[in-house]
Amino acid sequence: MTASPAPTTAPLIDISGLHYRYPGARADALADLDLQIGEGEFVAVVGANGSGKSTLARLAGGLDKPAAARRALACGHDLLTEAGRLAARRDVGVLFQNPENQLVAQCVEDDVAFGLENLGWAAPQIRRRVDEMLSRFRLEDLRLREPHLLSGGQKQRTALAGVLAVPRRALVLDEPTAMLDPAGRREVLAAVAGLHAEGLAIVYVTQEMDEVVAADRVIALERGTEVYSGSPSRLFADTGLVRRLRLGLPAAGELALALAERGRGPVRLPLTMDELLAGFAGSA
Amino acid sequence: MSLSCRGMSFSYEVGGTQLPALRGVSFELPAGGSLALLGASGAGKTTLLQVLRGLDRADSGAVLLDGVEPDAAAYADLQREVGLVFQAAELQLFAATAREDVAFGPRRLGWPEADVTTAVEAALDLAGLPAGDFGERHPYSLSGGEQRRLALAGVLAMRPRLLLLDEPFVNLDPGTRRDLVAVLERLKAAGVTLLLATHDVDLAWSLCDQRLLLADGRVEAVGDWDFAGAGGSLLAANRLREPFLVELWRRLGRAPESAPRTAAEAAEALA
Repeated sequence: MTASPAPTTAPLIDISGLHYRYPGARADALADLDLQIGEGEFVAVVGANGSGKSTLARLAGGLDKPAAARRALACGHDLLTEAGRLAARRDVGVLFQNPENQLVAQCVEDDVAFGLENLGWAAPQIRRRVDEMLSRFRLEDLRLREPHLLSGGQKQRTALAGVLAVPRRALVLDEPTAMLDPAGRREVLAAVAGLHAEGLAIVYVTQEMDEVVAADRVIALERGTEVYSGSPSRLFADTGLVRRLRLGLPAAGELALALAERGRGPVRLPLTMDELLAGFAGSA
Repeated sequence: MSLSCRGMSFSYEVGGTQLPALRGVSFELPAGGSLALLGASGAGKTTLLQVLRGLDRADSGAVLLDGVEPDAAAYADLQREVGLVFQAAELQLFAATAREDVAFGPRRLGWPEADVTTAVEAALDLAGLPAGDFGERHPYSLSGGEQRRLALAGVLAMRPRLLLLDEPFVNLDPGTRRDLVAVLERLKAAGVTLLLATHDVDLAWSLCDQRLLLADGRVEAVGDWDFAGAGGSLLAANRLREPFLVELWRRLGRAPESAPRTAAEAAEALA
């Protein structure tokens, strides 16, 4: 296990020695996993298919019961108890890959309002908050549309708006942009960046290496255990580890690597196109 | 198998109202060719694939397979050689084991059991789920990406000559994505015609001869069209973006229409 630098204040998500195994499975989905997410920290989680990313997302959000843990706290709530898990679900929003299971109402705006109605907010506040969310996720023209008539990407934006309508202390997202077109992806990333700037702690599970670049820290999982915790640039510079974990590089990094194999290219691995172009200019 | 789509239109009927999903779609895909279907969410990509596969019937226009019209006697047999891998792979998985799931298609086609076994092993192998390791696994015990690959194996086992894929790269880790690209390249080399709907403009650029841009059910552009200039603003208007290498070429002051398709080609050009 790689030692992670300890956050300076008490971690918002504080998990140590987490175990989980699916019924009938031959191996642990999560094995002796440690995870600390500080207040306001944006942590990306990567790993091969089956490495435990989605399982970790569900447990951190209080949605499943850990098999065992030395410690499992989310926003101060004990995930090992049912009461703790229920409380965690209020403070930790979770958005899944597939919004099919998350849309419940007859139309978009009702779906976005759902969580707030459950919390007993007053109607004018709900209306204001729903309008804000619909605008943020470009759903105004779809506000009265029935969910089954939405495309996958539209459904996902609706689900995200609904999760975020309720004020949260932490947000766990499991491949939130997987079904979105590039503009939709940009919108979600911008929304997440905005939430991060507002101080929300974010756990961001993704298969898109370009999306990892914005994170404060990235955690890489392998067969249910954390094998890396640190900066995105240090992870991507370790091409052996990247290959072993079945990851990749951001597009700019892939090109830089191909150039390096031909004896050319920037000295420091670029992670964005701007960095790549700066590297070219520097070596001109 | 060649595919010819001629003025094809399709509407969904919802509670008495017609919702047009495809309007006069026309394009030609030669045998062994590859086409990437691009478009904003809701443009009609999934609908187009379902009509091409014959799951829904077009309201007007025609889909010709190997030049054969839909009302010809031979058409039904040709339709059996068209495979579709759905976006939500779990919709296609239902058996108790991976092996049984993949065997379903060839068995339904009436193949002798020995041929079914060969096809199943080959398909699982090709999809990166070796039968020895994965054959007896319950499909629902697999991760999302593994389920995706199992669904692909189920379609490949029927040896389609035209393969339709709806967002095949979603939920796959980069390593598995690379493996899947290798599978598709192998299928292309073997002469299988490919049509895939994707939001991944970079893969559409590197993997396919042609790109078709669908907007609100209409064909906005088709062929090996220019992604820069007018093409670039078409992409932006459709919530897409330029492929990374096209944008890079443009920012380097090189002709974007001559941008390379892959990182390796780009490195060759720049080194």
